[in-house]
Amino acid sequence: MKEITINPVTRIEGHAKVRINLDDNDNVESAHFQVVELRGFEKFLIGSAVEEAPRITPRICGICPTSHHIAAAKACDQIFGAEPTDTGKKLRELMMLGQFIHSHSLHFFMLASPDFLIGHDAPAEERNIVGLVKKSPDLAKKAISARKFGQRLTEALGGKPIHPTTCIPGGISNSLTEQKRAELLEMARPTLDIAREGWSVARGIMNNTDTDFGAVETAFMGIEKNGRFSVYDGDVSILSKENVKTGSFSGVEYPDYLNEYSEDWSYLKFTRLYNGEYYRVGPLARLNIAEEMGTPEADSGLDEYRETFGRFTQATLAYNPARYLEFLSCCERAVSLLADPSICGTDTRTPAEGVVNERGVGIIEAPRGTLIHDYSVDENGFITKCNLIVATCQNNYGMDRGVEDVAGKVVENGNLSESAANKIEMVIRAYDPCISCATHAIGKMPLNIEFCRNRNII
Amino acid sequence: MKIAIEELAGCSGCTIAVLDLHEVILDILNEAEIVYSPVIMDVKEPPDEIDIAFVTGAVRNEENMERLKNIRKKAKTLVALGTCACYGGISGLSMLSSNEEIFNTVYRGVDTVKEDGVIPTDVPPFTYRAFAVGDLVKMDYYITGCPPKEQYLKQIIPALLKGDIAELSRKSVCSECDRKMGSVEGWHLKRRYEGKPDREHCLLGQGYLCLGPVTFGRCNAACPKNNIPCHGCNGPSLDILREPCRDLYNMMVRRISDLTDRPEKEIEKELYDVSHTMYPFTIGSLIMEDKENSKIRDLVQERSR
Repeated sequence: MKEITINPVTRIEGHAKVRINLDDNDNVESAHFQVVELRGFEKFLIGSAVEEAPRITPRICGICPTSHHIAAAKACDQIFGAEPTDTGKKLRELMMLGQFIHSHSLHFFMLASPDFLIGHDAPAEERNIVGLVKKSPDLAKKAISARKFGQRLTEALGGKPIHPTTCIPGGISNSLTEQKRAELLEMARPTLDIAREGWSVARGIMNNTDTDFGAVETAFMGIEKNGRFSVYDGDVSILSKENVKTGSFSGVEYPDYLNEYSEDWSYLKFTRLYNGEYYRVGPLARLNIAEEMGTPEADSGLDEYRETFGRFTQATLAYNPARYLEFLSCCERAVSLLADPSICGTDTRTPAEGVVNERGVGIIEAPRGTLIHDYSVDENGFITKCNLIVATCQNNYGMDRGVEDVAGKVVENGNLSESAANKIEMVIRAYDPCISCATHAIGKMPLNIEFCRNRNII
Repeated sequence: MKIAIEELAGCSGCTIAVLDLHEVILDILNEAEIVYSPVIMDVKEPPDEIDIAFVTGAVRNEENMERLKNIRKKAKTLVALGTCACYGGISGLSMLSSNEEIFNTVYRGVDTVKEDGVIPTDVPPFTYRAFAVGDLVKMDYYITGCPPKEQYLKQIIPALLKGDIAELSRKSVCSECDRKMGSVEGWHLKRRYEGKPDREHCLLGQGYLCLGPVTFGRCNAACPKNNIPCHGCNGPSLDILREPCRDLYNMMVRRISDLTDRPEKEIEKELYDVSHTMYPFTIGSLIMEDKENSKIRDLVQERSR
């Protein structure tokens, strides 16, 4: 038994490695995606005043802090029995859009696309944003400016672009001024133009997608709101791998549908459906579940996407164009929310008096997939129990199996070339895993790939 | 000029903060070459001969420890970037429980796992506690902030690349806040969900635990300006860092006592959940723990019983 390691896996958010076990004939016996960090939020939040959870949990992840911030705030709304006002909900949704615009453009342009635009066989030191700046300076500048709008939007509403703090039980602590709205709208429109233009790049990648790459057949889970793509609210739907709707939930009943387990070789937990079926979350799942994006440009893009992949697809690399369509849709939605002066309303919060419910479950669509924050509190609102289920745990199985699938194809005579190793990483990158999130439990991930023979690491 | 960014136990927010220089990144790339940054590029290990390395995150396991020592060897100048690297950051809160308790909760204790869940062993083992990087190896510079803010990084990083340092404000969050003090009567400590703070007056004066007075600035008081009390995410203010007998807790109590004309003992009775409200970003720091009147030692002991 020989073992090969890729360590760290790079151009993903956080720290992980891949370990490939070979048999005596140097064929791939098994391969795993390993996460080598854990931080322990589910334990160290116990004892905290629950209203601090929206300020503490963003630190799970520097890429999608807003998702944690708002999921925790939604749980607090329930605990204090304070349903946010319409303006409060709109502002939170807009903050989520800022999150998606930044995170999706970061992933598409800076983390994943170098494989497609520069080439996955290009030298390692060129396959990155710096290489992109050299190769397509115009595209790189546009990517930077799109991401900048996402971060400016989050900062305007959340106080800070990374680790926002303004969501509180019952809504949001501050209103948007008319002047700020006008400024943001000025930035939103050109960003939408960039997103619209970039679809041709994404479509080019889409038309050359290898639909068998990192193949895995799973069920899917994601939020939709009356059949539409939605990032802030709606019901969670589950589709079986045969594309049949097998479940739907919106809060405390989530443990009836899913459970988690762990393996000896990774700090990252795995999530399964109750019937033992594996499922995936994120852009691919959301586009399988939603009937429509709900915004015109993204909807026409969705038609093209479905011409390529069908109404329901298991193709792992379709994650990339699906993510792009969500980016486009979020830009459109941001423009329409900002174009409506009513978003400047001053009724941004419903007063909270004290603990009304001793449990709250906040569910939201983070850029990488469904995110669940579940808190139980005592009568004074101090956390007694906490469960956080992040997207990357839910995609762990898909990544793990995808890694084995590709490893079986690219390992030759017990050897792994650098570009072959990158192909394995491309599967992982398609999921845009967020290892900081995943290891909220305590963790980290650039990728290393390990080759083992007889359990001895070479 | 070769620069590197190493990631330890953290959230990658500090790397994103560097990307948040937006178009300024392009100027930096004209001056310097990024030779290693696992979040954004494929080079697997830091090369030798790095001019400036930034290290983000805290040390929570053996692998973080090795990476920290390795980058110290390879970098001429080593910079702690962000509050986790400087003071342990939020990862430090894991000090409230033993490693065993953490694993038992995560893998066997939450609602969606089974009681006989596997606790991973074929992974880098935990160190006995969380560490700030400066408590383990010599650092040349510290840049605090969770994460450090764009406006300041835009001044700091180009200066560093020139072998220079930027002269910036070293005051507390209060110095950047636009709220007025006003009269304080009938003061009592409020929980953060209680009432609606008025926009004009000091949040601490209104009864909210705002750590502005004891927190290092350079965030433009972003939270207080948005009606959210300061949580101390930039780490302690300069006077606390400099004076062995000054600590976050006792300086806050003293400040409230001065403000309200009530004895410190009474103020202390009103405080609650000190670990998550006052020390969430500094509990892993030996510098803060070693202060003669620090509460950190008690908090860590209390929880591990």
